[in-house]
Amino acid sequence: MIPNPMLYAILALWVFGAVCILRERRNVRVMIYLFIFSLLTSLAYFLLGSPDTAMAEAAIGAFTTIFFIVCFEKYEALKVDGPQPEESPAEKRPVGAWLKRVVAPLLFTAVIGALMLYFSPGGEVVDHLKSQYLTQFAQDVGGENAVTAIYLGYRVYDTLFEALLLVVTVLAVAHMSYSTSLQSTKQKRYLKPSVVEIAVVRAIAVVILLFGVYLIVNGHITAGGGFQGGLFIAAFFVCRFLIHNIHDLPVYKLLRLEEVVFASSVLIAVFVIFLGMTYHLPAEHLPMFQGVYMVIMNFMIGMKVACGFTILFYRYVTIERR
Amino acid sequence: MNPIEVAAIVVFLISFYGLITGKKMIKAVVYMVLMQSAVIVFFLSIGFQSGTVPPMGAYLEYAEHIADPLPQALMITAIVVGVAVTTINITMLMAFFRKHPTTDWDEARKKSMEKEGAATLPNLESQS
Repeated sequence: MIPNPMLYAILALWVFGAVCILRERRNVRVMIYLFIFSLLTSLAYFLLGSPDTAMAEAAIGAFTTIFFIVCFEKYEALKVDGPQPEESPAEKRPVGAWLKRVVAPLLFTAVIGALMLYFSPGGEVVDHLKSQYLTQFAQDVGGENAVTAIYLGYRVYDTLFEALLLVVTVLAVAHMSYSTSLQSTKQKRYLKPSVVEIAVVRAIAVVILLFGVYLIVNGHITAGGGFQGGLFIAAFFVCRFLIHNIHDLPVYKLLRLEEVVFASSVLIAVFVIFLGMTYHLPAEHLPMFQGVYMVIMNFMIGMKVACGFTILFYRYVTIERR
Repeated sequence: MNPIEVAAIVVFLISFYGLITGKKMIKAVVYMVLMQSAVIVFFLSIGFQSGTVPPMGAYLEYAEHIADPLPQALMITAIVVGVAVTTINITMLMAFFRKHPTTDWDEARKKSMEKEGAATLPNLESQS
């Protein structure tokens, strides 16, 4: 009997999705397959026992697809496959070219796969670190979610550098892409949404915003946290664009806000974690202090991620059309 | 051998094969997304047993198998880093497409070779 049939079915579909993406030639269909693939990935994460990453992957998959589609909307030529290569007859094509194009990459991939399977750890894993984290996190960092305790307590360096990387990404995208007018109020739209679509998005948007705030505030107790909540809040601003078709958000002010939030989150982490503020507190106030720290830190990260993704989306939308 | 790990390795190899044989730049970006998902599934599947519960909640000590929280926390970071890489890739793709209107690697190489040749040949002649 298969122990976990749902997980294996989803993994089989997942591999099949990758094959579909490999075989597909039209770019728009590749995007649809990519979206389905990321949904399946999210389900697989959930069944592997990690709802935090599943939530992050679901939101990130949607955002990746949105970015690609906005890119297609800007440059229509990317939608089609480009000029078809002129088909040379089979007898003219030398055998060496076929070897070089198909057989050599296949062999190379097969060798790498064999090496990976040979060296893959498999089997028993030494898990003293896991048991240490699971037994200690409630006293050391607080909260009821071990994942949040790790990324806000034990490994807060990772979180800070990842936040820094997101700031750098937003800056790079803002400077590599150029746009004629950031503050233009109306943009020509090619596909006009109907009244029903606008009404539905308007109804969903509030729920998305509430859900994002809920994830941030309860991130230290249940699944969720700063990243996921921030992504949902950024999705609210995408909905806002869909409803009103304006991009009047002051992008550069948002960028300043993101930098300020990042700097203050670094300061909070330095004071609380690295300088060991928790050691000087009386023991009866410790749980409340830890809860306040985690909520504030999640809120900071959420605000930063929301600012970053809103800037990215609005930046892609306002890039100049050829 | 864990079948989940095998599935992750297979998806990684499929996207690797696509990356080294593909001709379209957009699909190269997509393959990098796939590779990242495969790596994350591989990490999350370490030490996985059926009946694993997520590492959260107040009654963790009564659970039989608990998922390892450390790879999960690292993989949340990896997901956000991955989407940062994807956005940079898309921006570079759009900037390239604005400059040379093609998304085919071979054509792009040909065009840049032509441009480089036009730029460097006079210099070579003047030096000789």
